[in-house]
Amino acid sequence: MILAVVFANAEGNILIERFHGVPAEERLHWRSFLVKLGSDNLKGVKNEELLVASHKSVYIVYTVLGDVSIYVVGKDEYDELALSEVIFVITSVVKDVCGKPPTERLFLDKYGRICLCLDEIVWKGYLENTEKDRIKRLIRLKPPTEF
Amino acid sequence: MAQPLLKKDDDRDDEGDYSPFLGIEKGSVLQEARVFNDPQIDARRCSQVITKLLYLLNQGDTFTKVEATEAFFAVTKLFQSKDLGLRRMVYLMIKEISPSSDEVIIVTSSLMKDMNSKTDMYRANAIRVLCRIIDGTLLTQIERYLKQAIVDKNPVVASAALVSGIHLLQTNPEIVKRWSNEVQEAVQSRAALVQFHALALLQQIRQNDRLAISKLVTSLTKGTVRSPLAQCLLIRYTSQVIRESGNNTQTGVRPFYDYLESCLRNKSEMVIFEAARAITELNGVTSRELTPAITVLQLFLSSSKPVLRFAAVRTLNKVAMTHAAAVTNCNIDMESLISDQNRSVATLAITTLLKTGNESSVDRLMKQITNFMSDIADEFKIVVVDAIRSLCLKFPLKYRSLMNFLSGILREEGGFEYKKAIVDSIVILIRDIPDAKESGLLHLCEFIEDCEFTYLSTQILHFLGIEGPKTSDPSKFIRYIYNRVHLENPTVRACAVSTLARFAASVDALKPRIFVLLKRCLFDSDDEVRDRATLYLSTLGGDGLVVETDETARDFLFGLFDVPLVNLENSLKNYAPSEESFDINSVPKEVKTHTFVEKKAPGKKQIGLGAPPSGPPSTADAYEKLLSSIPEFGNFGKLFKSSAPVELTEAETEYAVNVVKHVFDSHVVFQYNCTNTIPEQLLEDVVVIVDASEAEEFSEVFSKPLRSLPYDSPGQTFVAFEKPDGLPTVGKFSNVLRFYVKEVDRSTGEAEDDGVEDEYQLEDLEVVAADYMLKVGVSNFRNAWESMGPDCERVEEYGLGPRESLAEAVNTVINLLGMQPCEGTEAVPPNARSHVCVLSGVYIGNVRVLAKVSFGLDGPKDVAMKLAVRSEDETVSDAIHEIVAGG
Repeated sequence: MILAVVFANAEGNILIERFHGVPAEERLHWRSFLVKLGSDNLKGVKNEELLVASHKSVYIVYTVLGDVSIYVVGKDEYDELALSEVIFVITSVVKDVCGKPPTERLFLDKYGRICLCLDEIVWKGYLENTEKDRIKRLIRLKPPTEF
Repeated sequence: MAQPLLKKDDDRDDEGDYSPFLGIEKGSVLQEARVFNDPQIDARRCSQVITKLLYLLNQGDTFTKVEATEAFFAVTKLFQSKDLGLRRMVYLMIKEISPSSDEVIIVTSSLMKDMNSKTDMYRANAIRVLCRIIDGTLLTQIERYLKQAIVDKNPVVASAALVSGIHLLQTNPEIVKRWSNEVQEAVQSRAALVQFHALALLQQIRQNDRLAISKLVTSLTKGTVRSPLAQCLLIRYTSQVIRESGNNTQTGVRPFYDYLESCLRNKSEMVIFEAARAITELNGVTSRELTPAITVLQLFLSSSKPVLRFAAVRTLNKVAMTHAAAVTNCNIDMESLISDQNRSVATLAITTLLKTGNESSVDRLMKQITNFMSDIADEFKIVVVDAIRSLCLKFPLKYRSLMNFLSGILREEGGFEYKKAIVDSIVILIRDIPDAKESGLLHLCEFIEDCEFTYLSTQILHFLGIEGPKTSDPSKFIRYIYNRVHLENPTVRACAVSTLARFAASVDALKPRIFVLLKRCLFDSDDEVRDRATLYLSTLGGDGLVVETDETARDFLFGLFDVPLVNLENSLKNYAPSEESFDINSVPKEVKTHTFVEKKAPGKKQIGLGAPPSGPPSTADAYEKLLSSIPEFGNFGKLFKSSAPVELTEAETEYAVNVVKHVFDSHVVFQYNCTNTIPEQLLEDVVVIVDASEAEEFSEVFSKPLRSLPYDSPGQTFVAFEKPDGLPTVGKFSNVLRFYVKEVDRSTGEAEDDGVEDEYQLEDLEVVAADYMLKVGVSNFRNAWESMGPDCERVEEYGLGPRESLAEAVNTVINLLGMQPCEGTEAVPPNARSHVCVLSGVYIGNVRVLAKVSFGLDGPKDVAMKLAVRSEDETVSDAIHEIVAGG
């Protein structure tokens, strides 16, 4: 299960958070945990360089893209490798939508599109789509090209 | 969490830097949502408003029930628009609001229309939204469409239906299970993602049907799996099948191992990892099977990607717990990871090295760790401390540098859990390594001088009281202890007083000086401290002279209660103050069954400071306890071995009976475990009549019947035999179950008064030579073999005749001897013409036995065997040969 996908800005404010199967009372804890993890480790990290951590039986893969840091949390079958696949899809889609590693402003300008993309990538905690071109078509309700 | 996203510099004119959502407010956005109701829908504007709503929701903002309902109703109006972008937003919005069940009805018709639309993408999205919001009754209505969608030509539609199926399986399993034919078809799809989703769903539908899963795996491992994701799933299911098929070493070849091994050469890293992990996690994996997996993992250790390094080191760390030797090849790569920027990777590397390192590398390793400890978090530090403790127990000669390391980190900053882990480790080292005692205790003394945790201070003081007096110079600890009486809180002070008294009671020479200190404690501000001091001063006796402390006084003060503390606590709670004083003899000594896990296995050290050992009791412990509860078996002596249960009935018969053979020095006890599977019957006075005419050296001494055996609640009956003392006597026994059967009225559950006597024939049972052999492995067979020496060695050659395969012959001999195969030598490589298997065990009379068995194919099927046995007793070596000659 992909437990969470969280986007935060450089100051650690949440831009998007999507939790799956995480009780509401635990979300605050996750938010602050992830933001702290980012502020401790993401300084000086190159765009899209993946970092990894595990907390109890849960895995976290995170990275930075422009002004935005991205965190993906998973457990069981979504271990660090599966999550790196998920985050790869997410970063490539965000880059695609924004045209480059986004500034915070650019990210917020494309907010609606990014939400739609996320909706195509993660479906209630499961990975659904993995190719950016296909996702790009799907959010415009166009069938995939290979079809 | 909806924080205004203010930028650092608000005064800048550059508009481009402001957030488009600056100052966004829920109330005004909901107001804006009224545009959804406009007769002429402005798609662009509506999309913007939905984006704002999403922004609020995605930041953790919540809508009240009324707000959500309003927003939902407004959004549903947008179905009128034909704008594709807006429609896509509407789908997302409905999912995000997740309307309540009474509101769902508003959109279902629109969604159902979309689900049958000619536009594929409408169909896919409508399926996803519907499955998110509907309940069981509605699901049955749309089931037909979903089944069609699973096999839809458009992969997006098929995937949407399949993933919906995965989610619906949680809530409506019986409906989703009906789709298995369609899902099966989708597994064969040419679209990679459809195959992946279909495989996941099919496995979940059939997860309780082992045969089906096995078939699925067999067919897919031979066919083509298109996406790496699906391949990973398949590897997981394959290892599940391998696990469930048990240790089928009959042929020596593990089923599907070749498939896993071939995945190690896959293009995708994910697949390689999954296969490597699956191999390392195989039950009883041999070093031959492990090698290719370890090799690929080793390559990943030096990958430039942190995720791959992490995954590799995490897997190797797990392997090191069970197969440390297999991982040693990776040590050099692992050492370079200690300086890895990613702390998780570094910690895993260190703990792995601590498990696999040899004695000579300890000092170097410790130097590297010291630099590293300062910049990791407490939870990582605890892992390192635990690993160091195990290392120290493994190489006791290295205790000095390891103990110094522990005391060093004890002085540094850290939270309670971390400090406790260090203290626990030092305590264990003191207990297990006598040389480490004095220095360890002094490290602890220094720690309590500046310890902020009351719990740890009191635990250490208590431990000092027990161990301190036994050292060569106990007086050096007194200063540290008495300082606590001055400087600490009452809890620690009281504990320090008790520790001082323990020293006084154990070391006569110190008594006068400690009395002076204890007398000062009489003026303490705390009641408990004063009371303790008074008690000790008056009971230790001698009035401060150098005299031996009275044994009874010492027992009274520091002796162990011979009653369980739980029982004492309960009795004290129940005690009502009265004329009669509390009598400790009235406390029950019997420990309730659920607490009997606290009974330690002999020789097993307690972990940490007074931490109760945990974990369930082993089967052997459980049997021992069961047998010792029967007084007739009391004089049989120590239980040597209990066999695994042997079934005496076929599966699914009226009465299920299996037997466990308990072997004592001069007795054998058969424990018949009986289960009555007929609800309409109650069995009473159940016994097993054993005919031992084919086991002449056994004579029956006792039979314990089972009073009552109701439906589906297993019970035991026992039969005990006497046999020649210490000899591996064998024999064959035939068994008949005899009982009174009573009819049970199923409506009332009551049994009739009259019963009828009946009998039930059971299978025969044999006591064989292997029953006198305990399977006890050795970690290094070569060392054990060399140190046993050739004095009692017996070597003989045997012809085993025609056999199905070499592996089958090896397996037969292992089972015949009942010994533990070591170092994975029970597995015979396919097509091998010869094989050496090494075995270890303990023979009745507690004699260690080692065996080297060399097999060779002699002709096409004939197997020849050379058996070399070493033991501590030559008669035992002979006995092992007799077993083989007789078998």
